[in-house]
Amino acid sequence: MKKHSKTLLGASLVAAALAISGGALVAQEKPVIATVVKISGIPWFDRMNTGVKAFQAANPDVVATQYGPATADAAQQLQIVQDLVAKGVNALAVVPMDPQVLEGTLKRAMDRGIVVVTHEADNQKNTNADVEAFDNADYGKALNQRLAECMGKKGKWTTFVGSLGSRTHMQWVGAGEANAKQYPDMQLVDPNNESFDDANGTYEKAKEILRKHPDIKGFQTSAGNDVLGVGRAIDEAGLSGKVCLVGTGLPNPSADLLESGAITAIGFWDPKNAGMAMNSIAKTLLAKKPLTNGMDLGVPGYEKVKVTKGAGEGVLIIGNGMVLADKKNYKEYLF
Amino acid sequence: MRTTGGQLVMLIAINVLLLAIGAAISGGSFLSLFNLQSMASQLPEIGLLAIGVMLAMCAGNGGIDLSGIALANLSGVLSAVLVGMFLSSADQEAAFSLAFIAVAVLVGAVGGTLNGLLIARMNITPILCTLGTQMAFTGIAVVASNGRAVTVGSPEPLSSIGNATFLQVPIGFLVFMAAAGLIAALLKFTPYGLWLMLMGTNPRAATYAGFPKARVLVATYAMSGTLSGLAGVIIAARNVNVKWDYGTSYLLIAILIAVMAGVRPEGGYGRVICVVMAAIALQLLSSMLNFGGLSNFVRDFAWGALLLTFLAVGRYDLVGFLTPGTRKKPV
Repeated sequence: MKKHSKTLLGASLVAAALAISGGALVAQEKPVIATVVKISGIPWFDRMNTGVKAFQAANPDVVATQYGPATADAAQQLQIVQDLVAKGVNALAVVPMDPQVLEGTLKRAMDRGIVVVTHEADNQKNTNADVEAFDNADYGKALNQRLAECMGKKGKWTTFVGSLGSRTHMQWVGAGEANAKQYPDMQLVDPNNESFDDANGTYEKAKEILRKHPDIKGFQTSAGNDVLGVGRAIDEAGLSGKVCLVGTGLPNPSADLLESGAITAIGFWDPKNAGMAMNSIAKTLLAKKPLTNGMDLGVPGYEKVKVTKGAGEGVLIIGNGMVLADKKNYKEYLF
Repeated sequence: MRTTGGQLVMLIAINVLLLAIGAAISGGSFLSLFNLQSMASQLPEIGLLAIGVMLAMCAGNGGIDLSGIALANLSGVLSAVLVGMFLSSADQEAAFSLAFIAVAVLVGAVGGTLNGLLIARMNITPILCTLGTQMAFTGIAVVASNGRAVTVGSPEPLSSIGNATFLQVPIGFLVFMAAAGLIAALLKFTPYGLWLMLMGTNPRAATYAGFPKARVLVATYAMSGTLSGLAGVIIAARNVNVKWDYGTSYLLIAILIAVMAGVRPEGGYGRVICVVMAAIALQLLSSMLNFGGLSNFVRDFAWGALLLTFLAVGRYDLVGFLTPGTRKKPV
């Protein structure tokens, strides 16, 4: 056995040597931009991958690919980022699972001269640029405006948030309330119901509200599953089309309720465009070009971005990438 | 006595093969010094946890330690919170580092001892006991940190453990090798090592032979816990922040490494060198697939295939089959 194992070892070593000499010829000249998402194989990030592919197709002078862990674990994402740094990519576009866990690794990446762009992480310190799809106040206002138009700018309405501690949700409904103030006939009743992003719980709560206020005309919701719960309650009460519902949601799960008219419109941002925007920013930074206020990233919804100081040394870039989809156009965004 | 060289040879061959494939698909950059350092610095966290699992498995009677990563996180979080109350990581760097390391390792040792006491004294089945303590440790870490990440910062010398190199070798890796070497020596040269393996082979005989069973068990789980504490230190050193839900996937990977290394799940046999080699093989495989730009689902598949291969090798003595002269008798 000893002799055999030595032969095996020797053969493997020769194979290794050959592989090195052969492989060195295939060096890549184009800058490599690696997009790392929270988890691969879920609709949201598959949609982002569509964006990365679209960016690659439009920019043959760079190599853009998407990576992501198979399990939702910050440690797994960390390993991928670290391997990509070692591989020597030129830029990283990361959607951090947990921004704070990645700080150390992203710092090491930046120390090696790698451009780092992040998304959904406006508290990330070690990044050159963090890009967010929209300003939270603008989004809340847009949702409410859509609701107000559906309600004919009058009647009782209420709001749902994921939880009272959810910062973005409170910003959205806060901006919505501020917007509704311009219409004196709109009357806010029992605001800020907590849904905990649970469609069933939201359904029960929406039924209660429909009983308590039979004349209610509108709902503005925040968490992703809220439209489904409230929509089902409206649908079952036979009020589809009579009560307006506008809130954050995804096209595929909401399709049936949009068709039946129980959901008036859903708001979201398109991960495809967010992926393209991240890559576009990375490419700009790789070309050593500055990021300026009001610049055009060449991506829908990011034509005139707001650039401000970020949490760390880098900048915070805010686009206008919100999408409001209704029965007519949701099919353009099936994910 | 089992002949066990085969497993080690297989593991080494697989490592060499993985290095070769990695070099081939990456155009040589897989073998660059920086990537070797990068992989070596990723290894210690999971490697330390895998050695802990190995120790628990060797103890026999269904021994396993499911609380490893939870305890590592608890060590990091609790130590960061406690030490952070008295010292500032930015101003008193050396004092903070030393105190952080000491408290983290201590928390690990205490947690491990708790496991050992529950299993040895109260006769709780290890899998249930460590599942329970896993949840308890996670719970304490959540409460201690309010569910948020706790900032450790990068005080020297703690930050060097995660980031610096000594003679081009990452210091974290050296710490890991030192710990592995120490455990290996302990198993090989002390009566404790012999007791542990014999007890794992036949617990009843161990009782009649008058082994200090309870003490061996407590020591084993305490060591596993201490290794978790050390893993917690390395996680903190690398990541600047510690959080209670870090590395949830490590639990199963650590067990996977131990089984791949030929540690007998029924107890009584396990070699540290094989665990180290198996951990390296998994690291190489996962880095290689990342280099190749392959989906991480392929990695899960490859790990599974590798594990099944090793189980087959262990079961059917494939190495002996290929070299008939040394073939051992079928059992």
